[in-house]
Amino acid sequence: MRFTFRGGIHVDEHKNTAGVRTEILPAPPEVCISMSQHIGAPAKPIVSVGERVLVGQKIGEVEGLGCPVHSSVSGTVKSIALTFTPSGRKIENIVIENDGENEIHPDVKPLGKKLSECTSEEIIEKIREAGISGMGGAAFPTYAKVSSAIGKADTVIINCAECEPYITANHRLLLEDPMSVINGAKILMKAIGVRRTYIAIEDNKLDAANKLEELVVDSDLFEVKVMKTKYPQGDERQLIYALMGKELPTGKLPADVGAVIFNAETCAAVYNALSTGMPLVRRIVTVDGDCIKRPMNYLVPIGTRISWLVECAGGFNKSPDRMIFGGPMMGQAQWDPEAPVVKSTSALLMLSDEQVCNSIDDPVCIRCGRCVKNCPMHLMPCYIAEASRTHEFDACEKYGAMSCVECGCCSYNCPAKVEIVQSIRVAKAEIRAAKNNK
Amino acid sequence: MTDNQKNINEGAVSYPELLSVSPSPHIKNPDTTQSIMLRVIIALLPACMWGVYSFGLRAAEILVICVASSVLFEWLFQKIMKRKNTVADFSAALTGLLIGMNLPAAAPLWLGVAGSLFAIVVVKGLFGGIGKNIVNPALAARVFMFAWPAEMGLFTKAGERINDLSVTFTGADAIAGATPLASLDAGVLPEDVTLFDMILGNTGGCIGEVSSVLLILGGIYLLFTKVITWHIPVAFIGTVAVLTFAFPIGTVSVTDFMLSSIFSGGLMLGAIFMATDYVTSPVTAKGQLIYGIGCGLITVFIRYFGGYLEGVSFAILIMNLLSGYIDKVTMPKRFGGGKS
Repeated sequence: MRFTFRGGIHVDEHKNTAGVRTEILPAPPEVCISMSQHIGAPAKPIVSVGERVLVGQKIGEVEGLGCPVHSSVSGTVKSIALTFTPSGRKIENIVIENDGENEIHPDVKPLGKKLSECTSEEIIEKIREAGISGMGGAAFPTYAKVSSAIGKADTVIINCAECEPYITANHRLLLEDPMSVINGAKILMKAIGVRRTYIAIEDNKLDAANKLEELVVDSDLFEVKVMKTKYPQGDERQLIYALMGKELPTGKLPADVGAVIFNAETCAAVYNALSTGMPLVRRIVTVDGDCIKRPMNYLVPIGTRISWLVECAGGFNKSPDRMIFGGPMMGQAQWDPEAPVVKSTSALLMLSDEQVCNSIDDPVCIRCGRCVKNCPMHLMPCYIAEASRTHEFDACEKYGAMSCVECGCCSYNCPAKVEIVQSIRVAKAEIRAAKNNK
Repeated sequence: MTDNQKNINEGAVSYPELLSVSPSPHIKNPDTTQSIMLRVIIALLPACMWGVYSFGLRAAEILVICVASSVLFEWLFQKIMKRKNTVADFSAALTGLLIGMNLPAAAPLWLGVAGSLFAIVVVKGLFGGIGKNIVNPALAARVFMFAWPAEMGLFTKAGERINDLSVTFTGADAIAGATPLASLDAGVLPEDVTLFDMILGNTGGCIGEVSSVLLILGGIYLLFTKVITWHIPVAFIGTVAVLTFAFPIGTVSVTDFMLSSIFSGGLMLGAIFMATDYVTSPVTAKGQLIYGIGCGLITVFIRYFGGYLEGVSFAILIMNLLSGYIDKVTMPKRFGGGKS
């Protein structure tokens, strides 16, 4: 019996890059580093135009919830300007011309201490200073997650579900450098003070699961948990339910039911930060989609532009219709080929119009009930969407719109092609706005 | 960039002038309303072919005329109302096919046209078109056509094929007691047909309702292609089976009475194809069970106590009206709780 949850869908996996070794991306001529890499306040630039910066040098500092931003290349600051983020906000970006020297900043040095000698505070501060935020998608600053879990969580879950189609960044990491993930988890366990970690992995990655099993066989701290391949298994609520049998109450954090969840690559970033001192300046990005000539996983400096990634992957073999950061189920469509990779960019997908489904005019629900059956939050999406369409937002709230995790199972399976999840997003925004006005 | 990569990129496809930006999810299941309706039509075809084999070419004529007039009325109505042309979603064709399947082969052709007009314009179009009707258009049309009971009762014997397409019949041509339901209502098993005949379809009745085995085959196809779930048909037929087993009429063998009851009349067609109509049935699994049980209860009630021999159509229509309420009372328990 594999661990799983009720609801959810099976999507064509398209894991084309699962068997291809990760390559180091050829050095980009310039990088564009956004001051808003994750949830929380944007960072303020602390370098000026014309200044030479080095790899790992702090170039943006933040007050409040958030962590600093570092240069991913060595070179000269070319400009600091406001540009649109993928989500449509205007944010300061630092553009650095890469000199190709890859000169590392002198501040980048190992902690120089045994893990057993470190205090929890030291580790948390180091994680914050290294600018580590969740690399799976939601992008929550990792140090804040760690501190909020202390005293509450008794289990660390390493999320290797990678349930979105196409993306294999975590899969490849687990095959090529599993020890960095395991060691990172050990650091996180030490910081939070827990002695149990579940490595949660879907059964379409049994090669990685077996490898991890071998590596942790002697450790009573780790347990590899193989789950059924089903979308959205990687959602934290479904993950906790599958592994621990607990429903995370609406509005609560995983720590409230004793769990704290980290993405596999986040763990590796924590290990790298403590063992080498290198902050989070690179990540693995799956470059795929039917328009990409050479689908590949690349180790990419943060701030690399889409156009460079595409060029390195051999360019297009047909014209793309949609350019997506992240997976096809929850990723964000981009409009600017010069948009930069951020810390949470797990994939760049270039899909042609044969792969994507464009909206149709005036879709009509035929009440087939698939959305109800598939909803992992056990909602009635068709009812919420219909109420949202007629602007009855009170009814949307009654139907549980605020519990929606926006996984998109409803829209994916809708035969009438109703944009259900988008209607629910509208309702959620309206409900929130109404609350704030009170 | 290395020279090697430069070579790869020469003559490459470039970015399009405009990229699409739309909300996630960016990929979708290839199933459409059209493909689902088409699957239901395919599932009905074996039973239709049996009807034509058993009752003659006239049956085919009725089916064709009902489908054609339904599609025509849908097209005309949408055109007059200046709405989107929805003929291509095949829902009107399916409604027409079901109307034809619910007519006896000797019924006059105008009756099918009148039924189609009622179904498409009154029941579906005036309520807002596909997805908005509150009762099943084909069933409402069947009940509408009961306004002509003599014509609706023009049942012919199985195997007595009518191949003359222009012939008209009068009430006098009706073969009394040709359907097994009439016998069952009197508390006796039908004399001229065996249970095997009923399952196979060797009995009198409407064009599309007689062959239980082919209707079940169609139902299995729909289950297999995930168009329907088991809940409604199993709850519906199961309820009828339990009730007729517990309360048989007359002194016949209980098992025979029960089996004859479920394999006669419009139960298979109704339970598998009409009660499962998406638009007019509940969306929750629990709701579908309640709805199916309700259909079964009302069917048996009307068969036993009503003036009509058959209760399936009325039962489904009544439950159609309750679907919205059933959905509300069977709303699934939200993951993680939270007040409603």
